[in-house]
Amino acid sequence: MFSTILFYILSVILVFSSLMVIFSRKPINSVLFLIVSFFAISGHYILLNAQFLAVVNIIVYAGAIMVLFLFTVMLLNLNKETEPKKSALVKIIAVITGCLLAVTLVGSLKGIDNAPVQDFSDNSIGLIKNLGKTLFTDFLVPFELTSVLFLASIVGTLMIGKKE
Amino acid sequence: MNLENFLIMRHELVLTIVTLILLIAELSISDKSKHKIIPIAIGLFTINLIIGFLPTISGSLFGGMYQTTALQVTMKNILNLGVLVVLFQSVKWLKEEENKIKISEFFLILFSTLIGMQFMISSGSFLMLYLGLELATIPMAALVAYDRLRTKSAEAGVKLILSAALSSAVLLFGISLIYGTTGSTYFNIVGSVFTSNSLQTLAFIFFFSGMAFKISLVPFHLWTADVYEGAPINVTSYLSVISKGASAFILLIVLFTVFKNIVEIWQNLLYVIAVSTMTIGNLFAIRQQNMKRFLAFSSIAQAGFILLGLMGANITGMTSVVYFVFVYIFSNLGAFGVVSVIYYQTSKENMDDYNGLYHTNPKLSLIMMLSLFSLAGIPPVAGFFGKFFLFTAAAASGYYWLVFIAVLNATISLYYYLLVVKAMFINKNDTPIAYFKTDTPAKISLIICVIGVFIVGFMSIFYQYFQSIGFGI
Amino acid sequence: MMISLLVAMYSTYFERKFAAWFQDRLGPNRAGPFGLMQPLADGLKLLFKEEFMPNTANRFLFIMGPMLAMFVALLTSAVIPWGSFIVIEGKEYSLQVADVNIGILYIVAVTSVGVYGIMLGGWASNNKYSLLGAIRAASQMISYELAMGLAILAIVMMSGSLSLSDMVAQQKGINWNIWYQPVGFLIFIICALAECNRAPFDLPECETELVGGFHTEYSSMKLGFFLFSEYINMFISSAIISALYFGGFHFPFEDSLGLSQNWLAIVGALVFFIKISFFGFVFMWIRWTLPRFRYDQLMRLGWTWLIPLAIFNILITAVVLMLHN
Repeated sequence: MFSTILFYILSVILVFSSLMVIFSRKPINSVLFLIVSFFAISGHYILLNAQFLAVVNIIVYAGAIMVLFLFTVMLLNLNKETEPKKSALVKIIAVITGCLLAVTLVGSLKGIDNAPVQDFSDNSIGLIKNLGKTLFTDFLVPFELTSVLFLASIVGTLMIGKKE
Repeated sequence: MNLENFLIMRHELVLTIVTLILLIAELSISDKSKHKIIPIAIGLFTINLIIGFLPTISGSLFGGMYQTTALQVTMKNILNLGVLVVLFQSVKWLKEEENKIKISEFFLILFSTLIGMQFMISSGSFLMLYLGLELATIPMAALVAYDRLRTKSAEAGVKLILSAALSSAVLLFGISLIYGTTGSTYFNIVGSVFTSNSLQTLAFIFFFSGMAFKISLVPFHLWTADVYEGAPINVTSYLSVISKGASAFILLIVLFTVFKNIVEIWQNLLYVIAVSTMTIGNLFAIRQQNMKRFLAFSSIAQAGFILLGLMGANITGMTSVVYFVFVYIFSNLGAFGVVSVIYYQTSKENMDDYNGLYHTNPKLSLIMMLSLFSLAGIPPVAGFFGKFFLFTAAAASGYYWLVFIAVLNATISLYYYLLVVKAMFINKNDTPIAYFKTDTPAKISLIICVIGVFIVGFMSIFYQYFQSIGFGI
Repeated sequence: MMISLLVAMYSTYFERKFAAWFQDRLGPNRAGPFGLMQPLADGLKLLFKEEFMPNTANRFLFIMGPMLAMFVALLTSAVIPWGSFIVIEGKEYSLQVADVNIGILYIVAVTSVGVYGIMLGGWASNNKYSLLGAIRAASQMISYELAMGLAILAIVMMSGSLSLSDMVAQQKGINWNIWYQPVGFLIFIICALAECNRAPFDLPECETELVGGFHTEYSSMKLGFFLFSEYINMFISSAIISALYFGGFHFPFEDSLGLSQNWLAIVGALVFFIKISFFGFVFMWIRWTLPRFRYDQLMRLGWTWLIPLAIFNILITAVVLMLHN
């Protein structure tokens, strides 16, 4: 019961802050709301008994990546005036497509009825021990592939940043 | 890891080892002799290519995460061959003074993206597919921005990474819906339970849109021309040939295995996209003056033709797609090779500059003509058979109107390919590009392309081999 | 939490006392016996000072900054095991607020969020010195967090757990981690100094270059919050150092003294505080003896020395552990 209430509170925060990310006029507020939404997501992870994921989410996203975002926003000093103006036509088209997408998404929800429901009764999967085991057995190849991806990205970044 | 497992994964493993060797070699070579890395890299890659042709073993590893059959091995070998040609073409460019300090990065990043494509082709689960796709795209942005001091190149890099991020998001949303509705990311499980209910159809559409970005199908093609134009020529050829070929291969596999239950749905979807892709790609190609943009739009149109084979949804369809990509690699790399040779000799890349090229550089003009004929699908060269088989596959499934539209489009494309040929052979020019000697590696690459364009067309053994390993729905 | 506040308050006092000692002066001695009331007087002064807010500042974020810094600094104390358990009427009460199974990661996460307080405060002031200070602070904290995480990783590998109480439990008696991880300890203490923005890593508030750094525009209690959070952070880092490397509340010969559980817990907690005070003293000692780094030196130290060293440390730990099993 308690966790259900918590779930709804977190979800409301999450949806609200995600919307504010998009609707905020000032980039800095967008960034801050994004951070709030990361915390809400971490809250959801904790509800799923995945404390490790929750904390790593905060360390990596809120603690490191968003700081870089903040850097960029602060150094560029972005604000309302620098935002490019969009023509009315583009706005109307965007609204129409967005609404169409929303209608399609909602409409397609009726397909949920006969979809199989996953059993998550074993809720210890998020604990770090089980997570580590799964990561290094079932998901070994994706895990290693990710390291190649990081290596290549680092090489690429260094190449772009290299002095002549 | 025992020998059999090694043989199953040999493409990826050897290429990873090659990449790591290069990484260490880069550290141990002094700054003055950095160009020595070029022969090392090409040599190692050739070894990798040869190992790829070792006898095939089919199998799946890591609980179905990774799977390979003769089909996947062939696809990887085709890509490897194409990459070798690209490497030969880029030697002269890499030796330029401004690229001196970042030669090995070119190889490192290029090989990493190739590893990504190969894992993608061999993936047995959406997770691997996604990771492979990311590995094939994210470092690519660094390659596109390789000439980072040239504004256009840097801009192209940013454009690529932004559109790639967007398409990945769309793709990932599709995958998450697939996982949510089927409870698995493994191809064989998803394939067996996938139905055409509304949510799963939507999931498929999102997934397909993500893939369409990578193959630059209309309406997801808007990034293509700018990125192709901004990137260094050899990167452009890699992007438009190898990257596109790999994405087409994986789309082929996924459509034919995972989404086989909803074949009618995706055939209808592909119908619309194929028509718009061919038509719009062609119409825009006519107006282009810049050779890179021209080839970019022509490659969009070519992607539309590939869809015809996919829609066949039978063994002829699969065979024709593999065959077409095989031929397309040679013909398009031939064209790009000539463009790049001329650009790095004279810094000219507009169609007008090619006026009267035949009188000064007859060999290059002939190669260009052959490649363009092959792209257009004119009978004696391989391209004709490529298109012919695609049309046959679509016609066999009853898409007569579609084939009719495709033939019309092929005619339009013939017109603009001939424009280039006309410029080279007929147009007069007071100051044509002077005669010059092509550097040896580029020469080798062009010879490979010419041989490919001829041999593949005349020897039916390739088509028969592809047919023996292919499958339909 | 109250303890943290109290300690932070008095560490300002001790800081000044020690500074005086190092510089052969007397230090504060007017308020109360030995000047013990000085921190209270300081606090009251800060409270009653005029509130001042630059009119170009972003009001909400300007207030958020110090609040966040303070809040985050206080959050960390929740997972530190202050002592073992006390038995009251047959029930065991742990002297740790929350024994989370990822305690150490929790601390890393919370400190990494601590950057925002400084960054927001610095940016919202709309002053270039503040912004520069904030950016320095943020990049410094992110850089040193890596090395710190890697140093902690070696300990995690040894204990096989992420829970702080497990880690402390394994260091019973004199079986402290410092004997196994001297290099890790050195890396950790350097990083802790940098994370707290303490000298010699106090570049963010370097007076000679940046006026007052990120809190140039702050006054009154908001400034107090920033200063306070720095001292709390210092206190918490000392606590973590003691818990990770010096056995936490364990002390030599604790089993042979024949004390009951309750007395053991109390003595343990006292011992823990002595250890913490010692490291607090070390922090102050370092501050008043070492000159400040230059910024490029600081970054080079972090990235090209500490991180490779920490990775090397992990490698050796792994090899030894493997041979040991």
